[in-house]
Amino acid sequence: MRLFLAILLCKLARAALRLLGRGGTALPGSLALKLCPDIVARLSRPLKTIMVTGTNGKTTTCRMIERMLGDAGFDCMANRSGPNLERGIAADLCANAGLTGRPRKRVAVIECDEAAFKRVCGEMKPAAVVVTNIFRDQLDRYGEVTHTLESIRIGLERAGGALVCLNADDSLVASLAPDAADRVRFFGIDVPLGEASAVSDAPRCIICGAEYEYKYHTFAHLGGFCCPKCGYSRTEPEVAVVGVDSLGPEGSVAEIRVDGEIYTAPVSLPGAYNLYNAAAAVAGVTALGVGAESAIKSLAHIESGFGRMERFELGEAKVTMVLVKNPAGCDRALEYLAGVPEAAAVFCLNDGTADGTDVSWIWDAGFERLFSGGQRREIIVSGTRADDMRLRLKYAGADDGDVRTVRGTAELADAIAALRGQVCVMPTYTAMLPLRAELASRVGRKEFWK
Amino acid sequence: MELRICHLYPDVLNLYGDRGNVLCMKKRLEWRGIGCSVTELPIGEKAPLGRFDLFFIGGGQDFEQGLLLDDLRAGKGGEIKAAANDGLAFLCVCGGYQLMGHSYETYTGERFAFLGALDLVTAGAKERLIGNFAFETEFGAVVGFENHSGRTRLGPGVQPLGRVLRGSGNNGEDGTEGARYLNVFGTYSHGPVLPKNPALCDGILLAALRRKYGSAELEPLDDAAENAAHESVLRSLGIN
Repeated sequence: MRLFLAILLCKLARAALRLLGRGGTALPGSLALKLCPDIVARLSRPLKTIMVTGTNGKTTTCRMIERMLGDAGFDCMANRSGPNLERGIAADLCANAGLTGRPRKRVAVIECDEAAFKRVCGEMKPAAVVVTNIFRDQLDRYGEVTHTLESIRIGLERAGGALVCLNADDSLVASLAPDAADRVRFFGIDVPLGEASAVSDAPRCIICGAEYEYKYHTFAHLGGFCCPKCGYSRTEPEVAVVGVDSLGPEGSVAEIRVDGEIYTAPVSLPGAYNLYNAAAAVAGVTALGVGAESAIKSLAHIESGFGRMERFELGEAKVTMVLVKNPAGCDRALEYLAGVPEAAAVFCLNDGTADGTDVSWIWDAGFERLFSGGQRREIIVSGTRADDMRLRLKYAGADDGDVRTVRGTAELADAIAALRGQVCVMPTYTAMLPLRAELASRVGRKEFWK
Repeated sequence: MELRICHLYPDVLNLYGDRGNVLCMKKRLEWRGIGCSVTELPIGEKAPLGRFDLFFIGGGQDFEQGLLLDDLRAGKGGEIKAAANDGLAFLCVCGGYQLMGHSYETYTGERFAFLGALDLVTAGAKERLIGNFAFETEFGAVVGFENHSGRTRLGPGVQPLGRVLRGSGNNGEDGTEGARYLNVFGTYSHGPVLPKNPALCDGILLAALRRKYGSAELEPLDDAAENAAHESVLRSLGIN
């Protein structure tokens, strides 16, 4: 009875919010949890669930998994718009359920916040879990990276017998491997992609504290790590990017080895970092029994997620929106931006709870790469901490004459629409939501909940 | 003129953005035509500290603290203390600030002996003090972001760096924030603290230059962007 009421109330609250033109899931989910605290466990019991957690790449990896499962004939539900805390997941599970709790779709792709994972994973008892990576992120909220690691470790322990897909190149994530070797599947990139970042989140061995040596680097602290003291080192992954044939603004082509077999994989999302997401997704769905060839084929048809390399054409402006939340993700976006020298850049820095109230992190991201060699481009800064952003750019080497401050969502959308050619918009989470809605309404795109 | 900056333990004391302070000092020297070199001194590496003029030490994660203490005990700790007593300039932030004190006692009662370069002690508490904050100093108001569970109490051998205007500061109780001893500046402020507080940055640079050259002046810079960021935090805290 409680379950019935909780589902009913959640559905009603969600419908009411939509009538008001809002897509919120936090309130309906909270209501459902209040009425029925174990609703997530009860509604997910009949589901075959794959959960994705980690600092960066969760949403894109979920979109890839969803597409792969769909192409392989599984009809699946997903928490698609990023409500990845327990209440958002509860709301999406209610939406998937009839009033008796019977699920409409029986396969679920669930993105889960790292801190919430500890609890939610134990309730959902997923068939498989993918952990993308661990980077410093919102220290005011998550604390140190070792806290994030611990939260995920506890979640995995509570998950019971889930198959665990881990990033082999991330010394933090790889340390989560359960003792049972048949329950773990590694993914990674076998070839160097770039340099280590200036600040590493894991310079020293998580087991013994000695400084790691690297055979090669891909991004930040990811790569072919090896501890010279205790021998903890990268495991040869089951799913590996073994070669990169091309990296372009529209996508990449990579060679991916899956359980010994090599496939050529066109990936429809740009940015080398999406190759990590691709490998993670392939590892996840093949763990659930999808054929490797089918999974690889799906990679050519991934549409960018909500604010993740999402494109808008606004007048003569070709806008690419890239959500940034932490130094590691920001560096990947800046790397992309540096490769499009003609593009105007728009940085929207907010300091809301969901963004992290501490904006110090922008000083750990390498904005310098935009100005090396005297490169210049048109730049707009916006958001509640626009002044901090502008200051960061000054110390990174920007010519202050190239930078404009624009306040207000509508004003910012106007300023973007007045630009010509490529425009790269990099907002933090709460800056992205209203700006994306504004741009979407101007181009007639649907809101995420429709 | 030239300042030789030493960034102590950048490999482990590098929490959120604090290295922006080194960048800020370097740029503000360069913009004035003053030479600047930055040397990083990670765990396990040694150099005669007397060859530097200005030290920066940031905050870190608990995970690496044990390793750091071993390295300090192996000799560097005594040298850092001697350099501070010798009047060399230091900026120490958060964990680095605590490290300069006598000791740290964890919430569970475990006690670690620290450098003793500054007359202060820190005790861990359950609740973290987190948020934008501001304090008044001889360089005017300073704004930043604090995020610490440690409560620091100053001894008679140091002066507070400032008085809290908004937020918690050293311990959330006595209204002090940070510490000053000779040319050592200690603070809980991230942000990073220097870019948004150019007067504090220039004050530290001047202290280092005067220690080295006897007298020194700094030409004013165009600080419009710095001041805008400074003011916006003050406004958000309801000051001004």
